[in-house]
Amino acid sequence: MARSEAHESRAVHITQEDVRRLCEFLYRRTGLSFADSKRYFIDRRLAERIAVTQSASFQAYFAILRSDAEHEIEHLVNAFTVNETYFYREEHQLRCMTSSLLGDVARGKKAGQPIRIWSIPCSTGEEPYSIAIWLMENWSQVDSYNIEIVGSDIDTRALKAAADGVYGDRALMRLSRQVIDRYFQPVAADKHQIDPGLRNSIQFTRVNLVDAQDLARYRDFDIVFCRNVLIYFDDASRRMAAENLYDCLRPGGYICLGHSETMSRISPLFRVCRFSDAIVYQRPEADHDRN
Amino acid sequence: MPLVRRDPTASPPPSQGSQGDLASHIAALSGQDAEDRWIAARALGGHADAVPALAAALGAEQVPRVREAIMTALMRIGDAASVIALVPYLRSQDAGLRAAATEALQAMSGAVMPFMTSLFWDGDSDVRLLATELARNMPAAEATHLLCSLLEHEQHPNVCAAAVEVLAEVGTREAIPALEACAGRFAGTPFLPFAVSIAIARISNTES
Amino acid sequence: MTEIEMVPTPRARILVVDDSSLVRLYYRDALEKGGFEVEHAINGIEAMEKVLAQAFDLLIVDVNMPRMDGFAFLRALRRSAREVATIPALIITTEAGEQDIEDARAAGANFYLVKPISQADLLRHTVVLTGASP
Repeated sequence: MARSEAHESRAVHITQEDVRRLCEFLYRRTGLSFADSKRYFIDRRLAERIAVTQSASFQAYFAILRSDAEHEIEHLVNAFTVNETYFYREEHQLRCMTSSLLGDVARGKKAGQPIRIWSIPCSTGEEPYSIAIWLMENWSQVDSYNIEIVGSDIDTRALKAAADGVYGDRALMRLSRQVIDRYFQPVAADKHQIDPGLRNSIQFTRVNLVDAQDLARYRDFDIVFCRNVLIYFDDASRRMAAENLYDCLRPGGYICLGHSETMSRISPLFRVCRFSDAIVYQRPEADHDRN
Repeated sequence: MPLVRRDPTASPPPSQGSQGDLASHIAALSGQDAEDRWIAARALGGHADAVPALAAALGAEQVPRVREAIMTALMRIGDAASVIALVPYLRSQDAGLRAAATEALQAMSGAVMPFMTSLFWDGDSDVRLLATELARNMPAAEATHLLCSLLEHEQHPNVCAAAVEVLAEVGTREAIPALEACAGRFAGTPFLPFAVSIAIARISNTES
Repeated sequence: MTEIEMVPTPRARILVVDDSSLVRLYYRDALEKGGFEVEHAINGIEAMEKVLAQAFDLLIVDVNMPRMDGFAFLRALRRSAREVATIPALIITTEAGEQDIEDARAAGANFYLVKPISQADLLRHTVVLTGASP
């Protein structure tokens, strides 16, 4: 009975039980949960995804979702979240870095040993530049250490944009006028570019997080920001990426995930650490037997 | 500026540990050093010949992260031999090992499928219980069929509860008669009637 | 006549840790009707995150969970900072053998029940373990 006209919106019947089944699947798979008050919001996004995937029924859509065909889990979750990237996004993690993590990291450093921070995936660079700017603006000990910041991604076009460091006004919306003046130059009516000194201080590289060979030379990182990518990998890739990140961290090094992500859905390799600004994860200092 | 730019790929090449051939990695799996065993396990993922060695190492391994790496390696191989190697760990006294084996097998749903019937007839109720989880990543029709045939003969309430749990996610309408019969058999028991009513509600809007 | 102001007693908070959605619903149904506030987690790692972020009066923990089982979670909990290490924990197992009871005690469980458990029994034990007035 399917009509062939693309414009026709044939409403697929979705029951409240279907929504519960979907929410339970999403919670199990990603850790995301929705208060009952937000359920109406899910109905609309779900209807959109059913239409986009041309599913004839909720059951057909749910089969696509369960098998994660064409990354449908990522599409559905993105439909629920704000996706734009901007400077000082998830500021509470940056605060955690300066108020809690770096003190611990710095304590373990001998003279001359650098502090190494990795943003992966770095996308178009907002995150590594944010880390750099935040440190210079907020860490009292920033001039006492050599700080190496690396930004990596699998997408070479994003990396090129990151190296160019040109951003529109919206990406700068969380930054104060003074910070913008200090680290950016206007290059067009609505565009600013990161100053060359800062641009040249960040190393951008292409890597595939799942490929241990790619990452073999990435070692001794003190803090890794790995946000909003692990949760979308399939089972085996998630485990491989987690094992790779483990090797890239120094013992005692920290890893920060996206704010709706949780290691409980990814890997048991890391210890949960609670600080006043954020929950982060830590590579244990040493192995211990299962006890 | 305190920022220093350094290219990680300009570092010296990776340590010898991760190079080396299959035989040396297999030998390293039973080495003294946890880090060597970790490197070996990670290097063996995808090498079907390594299954017997990985399976043996799994049972002996006391360091949690090495055990994880061995599991990942077996998952990546994902063939019938890996399934056969992992199934015995469903019987382990160690809850962590049972859970890890279940997780690995769950990710190999294609390779596991031919073993499902024998797992569902296993004499150990814990094995049957954990095996219900393995249907979770299977297509709805197959999972429904397997879980319903389990429900039809299963006496142990916890195993039935586990099957109902998975059906609540993956089941089609075909499961409703078996679910209702299960609730009938266990009427008056604490949990199953509740669980069955929710599962039926969840899967009622499905077509065959 | 002076009026005595009643300070409302805060509801006791329970964390239910079980990877079965139907079990979590079943327990939540019973506990909420009994006047408790309920949070949940599906494995020991999520449980640890929640325990570190929020206060709980009792943990109800299933043994069989992926990534971090109930025993491993309790062992990790008992090694943690004092304010979380001492939270009472009721462990739920599928077996009632001596070894399982010993394993539960060694992991740091305060109490132990064998499933399936009725809603009435769960509520009764929770009331006792949280010292809630009946």
